[in-house]
This record gives sequence, C-alpha cells and structure tokens, in this order.
Amino acid sequence: MNRVLVTGIVAATQLTLVGVGVAPQLSARATGDAYLVRVGPVDPIDPFRGAYVALDYPDLRHDGSRSTAEPGLGALDDGESGAVYVSLVEEDGVWVAEAWSRKRPADGPYLACDDRSWQIRCGIESWFLPQDEAQETDDVLGDGAVAELRVDVRGNAAVVDVRAS
Amino acid sequence: MTDTSSSSPPALTHPVAPQQLAWLRSELAGWTADGTISEEQATRISSRYRSEHHARISVGRVLLHLGAGFVGVGLIWLVAANLDELSPMARFAAVATLWLAFLVGGEVLADRRASPPLVGAVRLLAALGAGAVVFQAAQSLQVPAYEPRLVGLWSAGTLLHGYLTRSHVPFLVGLVTGVVWWFWQPLWDAPNGLTVVLLLGAGAVLASSLAVLHDGWIDSFAWAWRTVAGALALVALFTAAIPDIGSDGIEWTTWLVVALVVAGVAALAAVVTRPGPRVLEPVGAVVVLVVAALIGLWTTGTDTSSVDAADWGHAAVSVVAYVALAVGLVALGTVRDHPPLTWMAMVGLVVFTTFQSFAVFAPIVTGAWLFVVLGTVFLATGFLFDRARRHLAHALDDDSATDTDTEGAGR
Repeated sequence: MNRVLVTGIVAATQLTLVGVGVAPQLSARATGDAYLVRVGPVDPIDPFRGAYVALDYPDLRHDGSRSTAEPGLGALDDGESGAVYVSLVEEDGVWVAEAWSRKRPADGPYLACDDRSWQIRCGIESWFLPQDEAQETDDVLGDGAVAELRVDVRGNAAVVDVRAS
Repeated sequence: MTDTSSSSPPALTHPVAPQQLAWLRSELAGWTADGTISEEQATRISSRYRSEHHARISVGRVLLHLGAGFVGVGLIWLVAANLDELSPMARFAAVATLWLAFLVGGEVLADRRASPPLVGAVRLLAALGAGAVVFQAAQSLQVPAYEPRLVGLWSAGTLLHGYLTRSHVPFLVGLVTGVVWWFWQPLWDAPNGLTVVLLLGAGAVLASSLAVLHDGWIDSFAWAWRTVAGALALVALFTAAIPDIGSDGIEWTTWLVVALVVAGVAALAAVVTRPGPRVLEPVGAVVVLVVAALIGLWTTGTDTSSVDAADWGHAAVSVVAYVALAVGLVALGTVRDHPPLTWMAMVGLVVFTTFQSFAVFAPIVTGAWLFVVLGTVFLATGFLFDRARRHLAHALDDDSATDTDTEGAGR
C-alpha cells in the first residue's frame, strides 16, 4: 500500500480513537444544557498532575460528609460498585441531588457517575488551571461559588466554568 | 523448484553481524577442506550474506531507542504535569503537532530507507506520542485519567500503526499497552481472583491463536505473540494454584465474557485456517485455561495453621499441571527454535515449585529446616527439569533427522 495513504489512515484512525476516548465530555460540551451547582474547594494542587482545583459539591454528596483529600461525591455503601445515576432537581436557582440510583433514570436531568474507586465520581471533580489562577480560584471557592456544568441527555457532564455565587 | 545450478550471485543478501559472518566463513572453509561441499558451493553460500554492524545490537541503536523512550515518556510526563503557560486547547495542539511530526517523520525516513534504528526510534516517539495525545485530550476535557479505556484506545491506535507499516516498535508498544488493558478493563468492573485467572488463561488462548495465525504471514509478530502466550499460560497456572484464590467464585461481567468469546473465536480461526500439528498451541492454551479455572475453583479452606489431605492434593495436582505445562512449553520452544519459551518454562517451574513448597511446608517446617527443605526441592526440580529438557531436545533432534532421511530416501 502507498506509504502516504498508510500514514494518513494511521493518523486519521488514531485521532478518531482520541475522539472516542473523550466522546462523553465532547457530547456534554456540544449538546448539553447548563446547570449551576454549589461548589467548594478540596485541595488546590496535585503534585503529579500540576495545578488544578479539586471541586467539592455539597449538594450532590450522598452521605453529607465533606472531602478532605480525594475529590468525590461520597459513597453509596450498598455493597455494589459500578454505574451510579444522580437525579437533579432545582432549588433556589441551583441544582441539587434528589436521588441516587444504580439504574438509569427514565428522564433527566441526571448525572451518569461511577463509584468503582470507592467514591462516586462524575467527571466533574477537577478543574485544571494555571498555578496562579488555581490559587485565585481556590480563594473564590472558599467564599462560596457555583460551577456551571454542561449535562447531555445521557448524563455525561463537564465543568465549563467556576465563579463566585 | 529453485535452480541451484546457476552460478549467478543471489539478488538479495542477508545482513548478519560480523562475528556471525566470520564464523560461517570458517565453517565453510572446514566443509570445503573435508570435501563436504565444493569451492563453488561455499562461495555461493558465502555470497548470500553480508557483514553489517546494524545486524547486531550496537551502542548507537541502544542510545537511539533509549533516547526515544526518554523523550516519549518525557512528553507524556510534560502533559501529565500540566504545561501551565498554555490553555488546554493550546496544550492539546502542541502535543498533537509533535505526535503528527513523529508519525510522518518516521514514515518519511522509512520511505527513504534511512538507518533502521533511526526509523525505529522515531516510530517509538510516534507510538508514545499517540498515548500523549489521548491523555492530553482527556486532561483538556477533564476526563478522569484513571479509566482503562484510554489505555485500550492507545493500544488499538499503535497496533494499527505497527500492522499497517509492519514495524516492530509501534507493535510492541501496542502489545504492552494492550496486555495492560486486557487485565485492567475487566478488573475495573470486578476485582476478583478468579477473574484474573480466567483473563490470564483467555489471554494465553488469544495470544497463542494469533501466533499461529501470524506464522508465515508476519513471523516476527508471531514470535512476540508466542512469547506473550507462554508467559500468560505460566502465570495463569501459577495464580490459579495460589490457595483459595477462587474462594469468591466467578463474577461474570460483560468484559470478562467478551474476553472469553474473543479468545474462543481466535482459537477457532486458528484451528480452521491452520490445520495440522500447529493447532496444538491454541488447543493446549484452552486446556491451560480450563485446568487453571478448575484448580482455582478448588478451595481447600483458609486455615494455614494445619495442612490436611486436601491441601496436599491441591498442591500435588497443581505441581503436576505446572510440570506438564512447562514440558509442553519446552517442547514448543525446541520445535519452534524459540529459546525464551524454554527459559520462561524453566524459571517458572522452579519459582512455582518453591512457592508451592513454601505454601505446604511453611506451616509444619519452620526456621532453618524450612530453608533446607526448600533448597532441596529447588535443586531437585532444577536438576530433573534440565535433564528432561535435554532428553526432549535430543529426542526431537533425532525425530527431525529421521524425518529428513525418510524424505531424502523418498525423493
């Protein structure tokens, strides 16, 4: 086969696979609706991944506790692990968790999450920023803030902004 | 039939290391002197080979691959450590540009018939760069980087690169990341001892089937698949024989079923398309999978303070199964002229026997006597197995010599 064609096929396929890898987040950003949720900081810096803000969502947590190190939404403690769906309901202009389920809800809005790594994670627990901005954002979060999420019809979610409430 | 009477030199010569060529020429001189072959035949054989320094592992080759490895890992690390000054999209664009440059550069160099180590080094950068692009895209979009599917996608992309360009380095990167994904993805759903055993066994079935399917098509890839198959089979039985590994039973998940079905389809394809003795490889791997699952399911209790008949029986059956596998791999390694299989089988058997002895004897023999018993078992296993290996190799050599003589007489 022609080498130019082969190289093109390899490049196109690998880029497509990259797209497949981030498809849920791309879908959330491209097709999702906006939801505001209250947010607080956990730990501003990860020594390996660099500067980012680990986000805590007090209104989405299952057990009402607050993260001290690892970001997450608490544990379901039902003896199982896997997919978790968090149904959302609006209260006073922000969205809060209404129910947690192992089965996908019939209608939304809801977050498609996972609790294989002990805590419930929905892909919205980290917000990557340059070092100086991470520190500023951490200060803002300490005073009370909201995160703007984009959530698509399948519950895939992405954080698109964090700002003072 | 090839015309061997022609005195014209062959169009293609094979590159070999200078020491190998010197050895061949000295042997040819000896065969010519004792009349085994003629001067003309010796010249024709000698002209088939040329001395080339690249044919052996040179310092330059090692440095090129080492350098490419460092740069590739550094690239991924740079991404992982977050390039503070760039926005997520700029970071993704920078990494994607580097990956594309390495990919195109490697193929341009290959097309211009540049030095093979240089081409391999640039292709290694492209293969590692593909992983960097996947993880940078994930980081830019806040995708959790701990998900196994990202490694799976990286593996799929580099395997495609390796197969389409028939290049070893992307293939090996894809093979290693693929093996990682093979275990990580199902264990992500159900971290369970028997799941590991079944995945190891199914991996051995898949790899051995692919080795057979690659024979005569891409032989160097067949070599790699066969090595992986042997290693997975040895580790599968080792893991299955750990006392009470399967006390939680089998937890069926979608990915585990997919892995078993894929392995089964590959074995079926190998049996159907490559009939003959070589189907013994995937069939043997299927036997390893079944035996490993049965041994894993055989639980003898978790009380380590006493050793009863069931514990002895479990250890004995495990040792017999492991010895049978080791002998099979040695035979395969000898027939296929595949030394890594032989070495893996020998080392695996000694380690396995020692581990089992420890598991059985440790509760009843302690202190210095435990070392004496283990050492004796270790020495006996090594001695007996080495003797068996030599006998087997000798018998196989005799068989092949007899076959050659018979074929010669038939002609």
